[in-house]
Amino acid sequence: MKRASVREQVRYPAGVTAGLAAAVVLCLWGAVQSYSTEAAYQQANSDPYMVSMQFQRFAQVPEMVPRDAVMGYLSDAPSGVVDTAMFDSAQYVLAPRILERGAAHDWVLGNFTRPGDFHSVAQANGLRLERDFGNGAILFRREEHR
Amino acid sequence: MGLLWIVEAMLLGCLLVYRFTDLAAAQPSWAGWLLVFGAGAAGGMGLASALFFLLGVVGGIPAAAMMVELAGLAAAAWMVFRGAEKKESPGAARYPMRVTLWLAALSALALATAGMAAAWQWNPQGNWDAWAIWNLRARFLSAGGGLASRAWSPALAGATHTEYPLLVSSFVARCWAYSHALSQAVPAAASYAFFLALIALAAGGLAALRGPALGLSAGLVLLATPALLREVPAQYADVPLACYVAGAVIFALLERPVLAGVFAGLAAWTKDEGLLFLAVFLAVTVLLRRRTWLQTALGALPAAVLALAFKAMLPKGTTSLLSASAGGAGHRVVDFGRAGTILAEFGRQFASMGVQWYHPILPLAALAVALRFDGGRRRDLAFGAAVAGLLLLGESAVYMVTANSLEWQLQTSLGRLLVQVWPVLVVTAVLALRQPERLAVVEVAKTRKKQRG
Repeated sequence: MKRASVREQVRYPAGVTAGLAAAVVLCLWGAVQSYSTEAAYQQANSDPYMVSMQFQRFAQVPEMVPRDAVMGYLSDAPSGVVDTAMFDSAQYVLAPRILERGAAHDWVLGNFTRPGDFHSVAQANGLRLERDFGNGAILFRREEHR
Repeated sequence: MGLLWIVEAMLLGCLLVYRFTDLAAAQPSWAGWLLVFGAGAAGGMGLASALFFLLGVVGGIPAAAMMVELAGLAAAAWMVFRGAEKKESPGAARYPMRVTLWLAALSALALATAGMAAAWQWNPQGNWDAWAIWNLRARFLSAGGGLASRAWSPALAGATHTEYPLLVSSFVARCWAYSHALSQAVPAAASYAFFLALIALAAGGLAALRGPALGLSAGLVLLATPALLREVPAQYADVPLACYVAGAVIFALLERPVLAGVFAGLAAWTKDEGLLFLAVFLAVTVLLRRRTWLQTALGALPAAVLALAFKAMLPKGTTSLLSASAGGAGHRVVDFGRAGTILAEFGRQFASMGVQWYHPILPLAALAVALRFDGGRRRDLAFGAAVAGLLLLGESAVYMVTANSLEWQLQTSLGRLLVQVWPVLVVTAVLALRQPERLAVVEVAKTRKKQRG
């Protein structure tokens, strides 16, 4: 005995399929372009403000300066992007301590771009050199706390 | 451990959304799950941020915030477990290029993640504002004791923008405080989680509203938007804000006004632009979706009150961009040269949302040419376009009056503003297209089968 069965076939207009296919291809092209550009850019511009390095430069400061301290800040960087980046990244690394420019505090952070006579810097500001961590990272302390 | 606390917040949100909304019932079923994930992840992170700020920072007892959160998680899990019932799942939806669209979306997600992984490897601290503003404030907030209030200390006012809302900083601080470690992976992962939530909301929301093909297409366009992808590893608040903005619009279109309001309120707790968005969103809702405005406003109330109370009471010695620009604003508003500069920069920044010859407008254009617009969606189109248009207009007005250097202000912020609005533009554009599933031609073929008997 034979029985008739009904089968539904769904077909989409060629324009619809072509449009979706074009969108898919374009998006994949964009995703590939975006990936290759981004990966190359990030590698070429690795940590441009050297924020990660500040964690190493100032690694011992948190052991010596109380968490609730407000610290002074001295630097030889010329004002501009470099100076701002150095100050902001040091503030980030040393939070919750607060940094304020100048030497009017018990603890003062020195953040220098070049080697120099940091004892003279200390004397000129009524400070003493508490610790030289190297690479321009200095911790000063006010003289009366000797 | 910090990453586990991100997952915990997302899980709490997902359980609450699953239990107290009917989003999981949206069809197709994967759209329901995407909506639960998107709403739950973003909502959970926002809720955890507010809870930590109120109990842990203002109340000074972070452990209380953690206990409340864990109790909420246990209660939500219990309610979901008790209420679990097996739902009848309709057969798989039929739509064109099903496998291709899924494969493309997953491939684009993998490529996007790989690009971000390069950024996480080479720039783990994120871009400038991440360590100078958002994560710096998180370090203060996570410090405990009386030190958390340093996040809005007048000594930091100015460069650190202590008046900015705290959703992102507070959420990162919460993870750091609960895990007792300042892992750099936390802000990077939080930003990525908001990105995933954004994609899930756009794809799931549009699939529920306009069918799976358009839903997947919208997700795919966002996954292939270079400007958006670049902002994820930056660790700023722009991707979280984009997520809340898009979520609010999608939930309004899905007739979930309370959830739409909750997301609009969380946008206000994320960034100053979120406060503008909240005002715009409520105004457009009153005008175009009057029936739902009260529920929307009630949903927005808690987070909006938190954001406004924070701005009014805590940061001292800081002035908002608008109040700092009051002097001479009259002259600047009528300076048509400024308007020209703003328009030109809008064009330039919009063009640079792509990469090389690719621009994310191209796939949208291909879809629009092939599918054409659906005249029956004018009301929804008007809603999305009004929100996006007024938001951009409001931002342009800020540029017109700002006392800062206009060129500097435009170059440092306009690209990110476009990223905040772009997902709403994509959702609105795709929403207005004809549904591919409805253009199907069904052919009925009769076949004869031999049957024994």
